[in-house]
Amino acid sequence: MRPARAAVLLVAPVSLLLVACAPEVVRRPAQLTPVPGQSESAIEVLQDASISVGPGYQRVIPRGSVWTSVGRTAQGEVFKPVGRVFTVEGTHIYEAYIVLDGERVVGFYLPVERAFSPPPDGRETKLSIRRRQP
Amino acid sequence: MTIMRRLVPLLLLALLLPACASGPKYTEVMSTLPSPTPTQGRIYFYRPSALGAAVQPDIKLNGQKIGTAKPHGFYFVDRDPGDCVVSAATETEKRLTFTLEPRQERYVRLKIQIGVLVGRIVPELVDKAEAEEELKGLSFIANPLQ
Repeated sequence: MRPARAAVLLVAPVSLLLVACAPEVVRRPAQLTPVPGQSESAIEVLQDASISVGPGYQRVIPRGSVWTSVGRTAQGEVFKPVGRVFTVEGTHIYEAYIVLDGERVVGFYLPVERAFSPPPDGRETKLSIRRRQP
Repeated sequence: MTIMRRLVPLLLLALLLPACASGPKYTEVMSTLPSPTPTQGRIYFYRPSALGAAVQPDIKLNGQKIGTAKPHGFYFVDRDPGDCVVSAATETEKRLTFTLEPRQERYVRLKIQIGVLVGRIVPELVDKAEAEEELKGLSFIANPLQ
């Protein structure tokens, strides 16, 4: 057997197995607490930002997207997208809100799981945002 | 041999066509669909691709079967607000979780993904604008449980 063919025969099944075994999104229980007077506040994203949302998965937070504050967790302020969807992905897919500490995305809040999910690569993404008041 | 070369694609096409949805198109039925009650939300399910057409697992919402992943088809269910878990299982189960609010419309694309032995259906939450564009060419499945 030629080496190239042998390599293909070896790599193809391994690649398939890797696709089959995407690691699960890390989650830990989190309490979302509404903040009085903050429910109407929102942010607008001023520049596209690529963000890692799961092992090997990226999303773009697009310029012009608006996110409304829905409360706080221990990690930061939680913003839900307005008129669009946002998800994080691993073995499964979860609707998610972004958690901001100032202008840094420190993780994601999963509303169905009531859980916080940190960035998979541990890297926090800085967003360029403008705050909107009600 | 030449005849066989012509026949094989036709036979493959003939095998594929019955596997696809064949009702009226989204653009034809959209205006005739009843609105959900004010206290409920609506979830659309659709599969835009015929790739892996033979793979048509059950689609479950909160553990209850609501239809299958029929290629080129779409259907919807109205539900009370709350947490939603959509699942599809072939050689492995893929899940999608999201919340549903009153009068809210949600769109779930059923994407085919390569698997080890058979394809997998991955339910994805999609923006309305993107979903409506993809739905235009799809056929309405009035009775998704049949």
